[in-house]
Amino acid sequence: MSVIDIKLAPLVLSKASRTVTKPQGVGGKLLRRPTFVLSVLILGFWVAAPVVLAFLGLDGLNRTGGVNQPPGGGHPFGTDNLGRDVFIRTLAGAGPILTIAPAATAIATVVGAAMGLAAGYFRGIVDDLLMRSFDILHALPGIIAILLVTAAFGRSPVTIMIAIGIFFAPIIARTVRSAVFVETGKQYVESARSQGESTWRILFVELLPNVAPTLIVEATIRLGFAVFASAGLSFLGLGAQPPSPDWGLVVSQNRIFIQTAWWSVTFPALAIMTLVVAVNLIADNLREVLQS
Amino acid sequence: MATLIEADGGVYTGTAVSSVQRRPIGRIIARRLVQVPIVLFIVSVLVFWLVQVVPGDPGRSVLGPYATDAQVALWKEQHGIVGASVEGYLTWLGAFLRGDWGISLLYNEPVRPLITAWLINSMTLGVYAFVLVVVFGIALGLFQAFHQGRRSDRGLTIGLVSLSAIPEFAVGTVLLVVFSVFLGWFPVYSGILPDTTLSDRLRAMTLPAFTLMAASVGYVARMVRAGTIETLESPFYRTAVLKGLRERQIVSNHVIRNSLVPSVAVLGGQLAYLIGGTAVVETLFSYPGIGLASVVAVQRKDIFVLEAVIMVTALASIVLLLVTDLIYMALDPRIDISSRNQQ
Repeated sequence: MSVIDIKLAPLVLSKASRTVTKPQGVGGKLLRRPTFVLSVLILGFWVAAPVVLAFLGLDGLNRTGGVNQPPGGGHPFGTDNLGRDVFIRTLAGAGPILTIAPAATAIATVVGAAMGLAAGYFRGIVDDLLMRSFDILHALPGIIAILLVTAAFGRSPVTIMIAIGIFFAPIIARTVRSAVFVETGKQYVESARSQGESTWRILFVELLPNVAPTLIVEATIRLGFAVFASAGLSFLGLGAQPPSPDWGLVVSQNRIFIQTAWWSVTFPALAIMTLVVAVNLIADNLREVLQS
Repeated sequence: MATLIEADGGVYTGTAVSSVQRRPIGRIIARRLVQVPIVLFIVSVLVFWLVQVVPGDPGRSVLGPYATDAQVALWKEQHGIVGASVEGYLTWLGAFLRGDWGISLLYNEPVRPLITAWLINSMTLGVYAFVLVVVFGIALGLFQAFHQGRRSDRGLTIGLVSLSAIPEFAVGTVLLVVFSVFLGWFPVYSGILPDTTLSDRLRAMTLPAFTLMAASVGYVARMVRAGTIETLESPFYRTAVLKGLRERQIVSNHVIRNSLVPSVAVLGGQLAYLIGGTAVVETLFSYPGIGLASVVAVQRKDIFVLEAVIMVTALASIVLLLVTDLIYMALDPRIDISSRNQQ
C-alpha cells in the first residue's frame, strides 16, 4: 500500500473546494463546526496511524509469543490467536481500507462526473442510456452485483475497488446530471456556446467548476459508502487476504475466538465505527456548508 | 458492503430538476411491468456470462488440471453445460426456466430445494428485522418530530445516520460481545436445524435482526420525522388542536396516518434490502439464509447455486420494489412514480 494513495483523495477534495467558492467563507464556517473538526481529527489519526507504524517498522505481523492474551501489560488491546499485538494491528488496519475506499471513490467520481456532464448537456439518447443503465445496475442488491463480479474476476482488493467504483459511478452521474440541467439554462453557457467554444471546453472548463460543489458533496457521501462497502466485502473474504490487518478481514478471521478472545474482534469493530462516523460527519458538514 | 451498498438511501443532493410532465397512471404501471422482464433478461445474461464464461471452463475449474479432456467433457455433459455461446446460454436459460437448476457441487444435492429452504430462513429473518425497523423507526421518528429542533432531535439524527453508516459486521460484533459473550442472553452462533424449537429460533434470530435493524432504522425514522413535521404544520392539525381534542387522540387519529405515507416507499426498499442484502449479517451469525449461501457459493465456486441465488434474489428484489411503488401510488394517487425515479 502506498502512502501517496492514502493522502491523495483528501488533498484533491480540499483543493477543489478552494477554487469553487470563496475560500475563507467555507473554511471558516467549517472550522466553527465542532463535529467537523472532531471528525477531521479522527480521519487524520487513521490516515497517520499506518504511515507512522510503517516508519517505526511495526507492521502488525510481529509475533509476541503470548497467544490470546487479554488486554493489559505490554498489550493494551491484548494479543490474537497467533500472538500478534491487537493494538498494533488495529492501528495498521486503517491502511487497506483507506487505500481501497478513496481509490474506489476516485474512480466513481471521475467516471460519474464525465457521464453526468455528458448526459446533462447532450440529453436525448445519451441521457436515456445513462438512466436505463442505472436502473439495471441498481435493480440488483449491491452485494449480489459485487459477488458476481468477484466470481468472474477473482477476489482481490483491486477487483473490489473497481467494482465499487463502477457501481457508484451512475449515482454520482445522476447527481451531476441534475446539477448540469440547472446550469445549462444559465447565461454563461449560452454565451460560451455563441462564442463558438468547443464542446469539451464548455463541459470541462465552463460547467465542471460550477457543478463542483455538488460533485464534492456527492463524492464525500460516496466515500462514506465506499468505506462501508469495502469493509463489508473484506469481512466476506472477497477483498484483502491474510495476513493483512484489514479490519473486516480481522473480524471474520477471529470470529471463532469470540468467546475466548473477545478483544481480537471488538477493537477492530470499534475502530471501523469511529472511521465511518467521522467520514459521514465530514460529508454531512460539507453538504450543509456548501449547499446552504 | 454491498448490502453494503444497498444501504444507500439514495441521498439526493442535487438542485432542482427540470419540470416533470405527469403521465397517466396506467402507462406508468405498464412501463414498470415491461421493465421487469427486460431487467431480468439482462441479469440472466450477466449471470451466465460472469459465472460460466469469464472465469474459464467450469468443467476444468471444478475437476482441476489433472483431469483428462474426456473427463471434463463428460462432466459438462452430465451438468448440462453446453459452452460459451448463444446456444449455451439458451440451453442454460431453458433448463433454468423449467425448474432444473442443477446440482450443488458443494452439497451434492439439487439446488432448488436448497434455495427454497435458505430463502424461507432469510425471509423469516427479514420479516423479524422489518417489524423491528417499523416499530423503532416510527417511534423514533415521531419522538423527533415532536421535539423538532431540540437537542434530543439533533442528537438522534446524528446518531441514527451514523448508525446506518457503520458496517453491519461491526455493529453485530459489538452486540455479540455484549449480549452473547458477556451477558449470555443469546447464542453465539445462530445456526438453525429442522428440529430447533420456535423459541430457540427466535432467540437465535434476535441479534441478527437487531443488527439489520440498526442499519436501516435511520432512513425510516428520517422519513417518519419529515412526514410528521409536515403534518404538524398543516391546517387540519391546527383545527384538531383548536377543537380541543386530546393530544393522544390527535396523534393516533390524525398525525400518524398522514405522516406515514412517505415512509412506505422507504419501508419497501428496506424490506428488499433486508431480504436480499443480508450476506454480511448472515455470515457473521452463521445464519443459514440465502445471503450466507451466496457468499459460500462464491468462495467455493459452487456455480449452480450461485446462478440460482442471484436469479432468485434479483427477481425478489425487483418484484418487491415494484409492489412498493404500486402500494405507494394507491395510498396517495398524487404521487407520480416517474418523477421519483427521475431524481
